[in-house]
Amino acid sequence: MTANPGELEAVGDAVGQSVSAEVTGRSPTRIAFDRLRKDKVAVGCATIMLVMVVLAALAPVIAGALDIYYDIKDPAAPSPSEVLEFDGYPAIGPPLHPFTWEHPLGLAPKTGVDNLAYLLYGLRTSLIVALAATIFSTVIGLVIGLVAGFSRGWVDTVLSFIIDLFLSFPFLLGMLALAPILISNAGNDLDKLARAQFIALISILVIFGWMGLARLIRGQVLSLREREFIQAAEVIGVPTRRILFKELLPNMVAPIVVAISLALPGFVAAEALLSFLGLGLTGTPSLGKMLADAAPYYKDYALYLWMPVATIATLTLALNLLGDSIRDAFDPKTRR
Amino acid sequence: MLGYIVRRLLSAGLVVTLTSMIVFALFFLGPDNPAQPLCDINGKCTPERLALLTEQLGLNDTVYHQYWIWLQGLFVGREISFGPIYQCSAPCLGISYSTRNEVTAELLDKFPATLSLAIGGSLIYLLVGVFLGTMAARVRGTLADRGLVTMSLIVSSIPYYVLAILAWIYLSLEWQIFPDTTYHPLTDGIGAWAYGLLLPWLVLGLAQSTAYARYTRGQMVETLGEDYIRTATAKGVAKRKVIFQHALRAAIVPVITIFGLDFAFLLAGTVVTEEIFDIDGIGQWGIRALRAPVDFPVVAATVLIGAVIIVIANIIVDILYSFIDPRVRVS
Repeated sequence: MTANPGELEAVGDAVGQSVSAEVTGRSPTRIAFDRLRKDKVAVGCATIMLVMVVLAALAPVIAGALDIYYDIKDPAAPSPSEVLEFDGYPAIGPPLHPFTWEHPLGLAPKTGVDNLAYLLYGLRTSLIVALAATIFSTVIGLVIGLVAGFSRGWVDTVLSFIIDLFLSFPFLLGMLALAPILISNAGNDLDKLARAQFIALISILVIFGWMGLARLIRGQVLSLREREFIQAAEVIGVPTRRILFKELLPNMVAPIVVAISLALPGFVAAEALLSFLGLGLTGTPSLGKMLADAAPYYKDYALYLWMPVATIATLTLALNLLGDSIRDAFDPKTRR
Repeated sequence: MLGYIVRRLLSAGLVVTLTSMIVFALFFLGPDNPAQPLCDINGKCTPERLALLTEQLGLNDTVYHQYWIWLQGLFVGREISFGPIYQCSAPCLGISYSTRNEVTAELLDKFPATLSLAIGGSLIYLLVGVFLGTMAARVRGTLADRGLVTMSLIVSSIPYYVLAILAWIYLSLEWQIFPDTTYHPLTDGIGAWAYGLLLPWLVLGLAQSTAYARYTRGQMVETLGEDYIRTATAKGVAKRKVIFQHALRAAIVPVITIFGLDFAFLLAGTVVTEEIFDIDGIGQWGIRALRAPVDFPVVAATVLIGAVIIVIANIIVDILYSFIDPRVRVS
């Protein structure tokens, strides 16, 4: 890409707050977005993600139209004895019978749940959990990072210690230890259980997911707060909250967007891992649980195994590659 | 130097103490009685049995008191009456609810498997990662370089456990390339030990090496642009020597830092690897203990040992730093 002089200058100024007037007024975010649109990988990944989001959002519609169910307890769902043979393998569809439109991706052995319906609802769970965890951990990381970086003295010391404490916590063991405790204590009321489990799971992901951004933001604030425009704001008596959110925050759009885009696939993977290990949600379909259920059938029913594998891999791959492209797009040092 | 180490050890001790407190609080402040699921295992749970179990586990005391007792056991040992009476000596981590053995003994029993896995895996990913990264930087911009970067991006984008489970299913079960993936202690001979761990090592090592390859490549590319590298080349030093002796030494310092910071990830990697390849180590033990009914003494022990390993690794890396990088003087 041949960089025009205006763009180079704008990129060079990206760290400072204002883009000088004679440049044709393109904000750093705008430049990054334009670069992103020219990036084939980014466009491809974004398209894949869009399709996945639409599929997940339309899960009830699709399942209703095809008359398939993810939950065997659904009164309209066929009972396992109707659709399974005596050995537990499905009586229609793969792996032993030809393809049927009644169950496009076949049925799960033993339970007789429709795979397509389960996959769609699992995708829905993944995306909702990951999105919620990303939003909350970003907000927490942002606020703690801003406060720690901006306040000198003991507040910074305490907050930095807390960040380090969480970072040196063996996060997987911690997450695993917390999950059953929070989830099993979520209550015994079946209606409330599913929602309480959701909240518990998201809290766990947030508890172990906010530190990276907090540390990053703290570092950024440490260098930004000595800059002239912040000193000027302090001198003319701008309130601290306004300095934090109106002066400092807009300068950190790039690291925040990058952190968000790389946090999403991490949370997708973590949610699936927890349910894969049998420590995640119990009442809700999950891709990780499907993976764990399907692994023993690798020989006779490879399709069953490869569905969750392909879905998890596609989801995380698309999100990660998109995140990587976003990082490149925001990085003024990247040459294309 | 000594003062620095003492200060680091103090803060590490604080981190470990807080970690154990958090685990305790979470477990015992929950609404359910932890004795309930234990009571339910062996058939009918009578109120008397529940009361006895609650008493035996010391659950009638306040959380602070229970924590204090647990802490005491860790340093001076304690006596536990849980069915028979156990004389649990100095580093006492309690009695496992499910196996009714001393947790410390079980921990020591399972530690070698985890240690073997972690050392082998991290050696592979450090060596392979640094080597590939150096090579890629050397041929920067070529097809080989771009291929390597793309490959590493793809491999590190897919969750590790998905790769591990596919490797286990296809390489071990289906195609029988690595038919034996069980842990043999070193006393069975070094051959059996290495043979059994080969696939877990490779999977853990190669999957993690991608990040190190990319990181090393970035550092190397930067270092190779430095003036002193040009000087060395101009003096006629052989290219291999320039890369491996002059450039790598400077480029590797940040890689070592990342290695230290990534210790939590290595630990997480071994937990997942143990669970998938069915290796009887601390990770699998910890996960099993977490499934209902929760075996709390084991959970506390695994989290504690995990935290201790991570803080010690961080300290060691900081000290190592001053040896690798002569510019750094810890103070």
